[in-house]
Amino acid sequence: MTSIWEVIDRTETGTYMEETDFDLKIVAKKCKELVKEYDIRYDPKQIITSDDSLADDVFEAGLRLALESGIYCIDTKRLVKFDEYELKEGIISAPRRLLIGQNKDSRILYARGIEDERAPIICGGQAGAAIPEEWYLPMAISYMKEPLIDMINNGGLAVVEGRKVRTKTPLEIQATRRELSMLREAARRAGRPGISFIAAESSVSAMGDLAIASERYMRRTDSHLVALLNELKTDFDRISKVVNFYEYGAHNVTLVDPIIGGYAGGPEGVAVCFVASFLLGRVMYGSDFHVCHPIHFRYMSTSAPECMWNLNIVGQAMARNAPFIIMGDVWTSAGAGSEMVFYETAANTIVNVVTGSHPLGVSATNGKYPHATGLETRLMAEVAHAAVRSRLTRKSANAIVVELVKRYADRQGKPDVGKPFPELYDTAKAIPKPEWNATYLKMKKEISEMTGLRF
Amino acid sequence: MSEAQLFEELANAVYAGDDAKAVELSRKVLDAGIEPLKAINEGLMKGMSRVGDDFSQLKIYLPEVMLAAEAMKAALAVLEPEALKRGKATVKSKVVIATITGDIHDIGKNIVAMLMKANGFEVHDLGRDVPIDELIKKAEEVKADFICASTLLSTSMPYMEDLIALLKERGIREKYIVMVGGGPVTREWAASIGADGYGDDGDEAVKVAKELLQRRGAK
Repeated sequence: MTSIWEVIDRTETGTYMEETDFDLKIVAKKCKELVKEYDIRYDPKQIITSDDSLADDVFEAGLRLALESGIYCIDTKRLVKFDEYELKEGIISAPRRLLIGQNKDSRILYARGIEDERAPIICGGQAGAAIPEEWYLPMAISYMKEPLIDMINNGGLAVVEGRKVRTKTPLEIQATRRELSMLREAARRAGRPGISFIAAESSVSAMGDLAIASERYMRRTDSHLVALLNELKTDFDRISKVVNFYEYGAHNVTLVDPIIGGYAGGPEGVAVCFVASFLLGRVMYGSDFHVCHPIHFRYMSTSAPECMWNLNIVGQAMARNAPFIIMGDVWTSAGAGSEMVFYETAANTIVNVVTGSHPLGVSATNGKYPHATGLETRLMAEVAHAAVRSRLTRKSANAIVVELVKRYADRQGKPDVGKPFPELYDTAKAIPKPEWNATYLKMKKEISEMTGLRF
Repeated sequence: MSEAQLFEELANAVYAGDDAKAVELSRKVLDAGIEPLKAINEGLMKGMSRVGDDFSQLKIYLPEVMLAAEAMKAALAVLEPEALKRGKATVKSKVVIATITGDIHDIGKNIVAMLMKANGFEVHDLGRDVPIDELIKKAEEVKADFICASTLLSTSMPYMEDLIALLKERGIREKYIVMVGGGPVTREWAASIGADGYGDDGDEAVKVAKELLQRRGAK
């Protein structure tokens, strides 16, 4: 596959272009043209589509976009392009199965198929959130003690030893090391010392990341996220993270989060952009797996119908044509402590597991507030397993998801953000308080009756 | 073409992001002896208002908003000098906006900047990863009404506090309306650092900006 040396060379030798021209004349223009040419259409009644040809069209359009756009390096203003042979080599060489974690806590993370009957890997945590230092440990334990959670992706620290962490300052190193130290401690206390992490979330620039490439912090069976910037862009901070992990030997993971309403256009253009991003992320970052995170321009949440349609069509497009290992984010507008968070979680999770991705979440309130606990993630895991056990087809899953959406879609603009972790959990014992547990049981029963899923 | 038709065509040209057409129609406005300020308000601004409304409902997307803003800018370059000559140009409220130190995520900021332009603000967009002293320097230079800071990173939020602290330290806090926003920024946090306004999204940011301006005494 294209070496990282070659990638770095191309950031310095590729075609020079102003960034606005790349945004408008390449990304926006080509997404629009390709959507029109392939007649790709979003249908809110088909959040999960059974149309294989639509998935194939999205893939083909995405491959063409990848070939024509490449990735824009904002530091050098140059295009890093890859030819068809390189992109296809990236597809063929992509891992289909990956060992994550250690010993009894290890798991095989695999490329899911459409309507896959295998149990999905559940990645738990309030990814993307800034979690208060004083709650970080019990909150992490609340996820790790959930037996259905296979791996962890919790948030970062915005305060360390009482000091506010500012990007690109020495405190970024301290925060990232503290995050990993606390995750290790939480894993030990939860009796799962080998559980795999997607971590170093406190490392916004490359600084923190460089400081945790050590078995003491990040093991080689762990992973970190390297984002593609919106849309189809990167910079030297991202590439530095990649270079560091290449040599160290832990997993690079491409985080792709195109914005619906942004440069790629509406849901259809974003789907095309997603496929291009995954293909390019594989060759640019050498990623072992990928995170699918469509962003709604207003609500952010992946549980918005347009976002779930993207999870669905991109998952299927990739599963049919380039079976990468994909984790689909579960980001809800509502917070832990609310009833709404369970509707959003259930809908989003069903979409993921039926259409080719493993669920990753729940990032309640989109990580805006630390209003998250292990309990809503337990429901995510239970729904995921139940959907697979029930052998949900795309058609039956769609009917369920459309019904679930009716329970929350009109409230996504003004969601119930719930309550902070310590108000919902006994932090000493890391168990849910009775009231929160009662809400969970009530909602689990309601969702079971409504969907027919057997928990 | 009647005056009303001309204004409608101007609005359509802006909406379509057709800068050549917008310029051509603006020249026709002047040739016909029509009041340029009226053409700005009833033609260009109406077109941009439609752009803002349709973007809010996801009928159009960011590239269309950007192209419309460019068409409006091109038309204004024709109409504004003449309006100024006649002493009838409106004084726009000025906004200095940026993604703050340490953060390179700029789409949210771009959306707010575009919607503010669409609503008649004069927007000075400094880009991303902008140090707070540069924001203040620009605000002083253009005599801004607003300083707006955005971030997607919780670790860049402290720089927003620093911005307000530096304005206070320099004794110029009261000169500016400070607004903050972005993924991890909350209404409560914005209030806690002493920001004047916060928007959950682009639409709210514009609404709040207008309210704050009215409260201060509209220009």
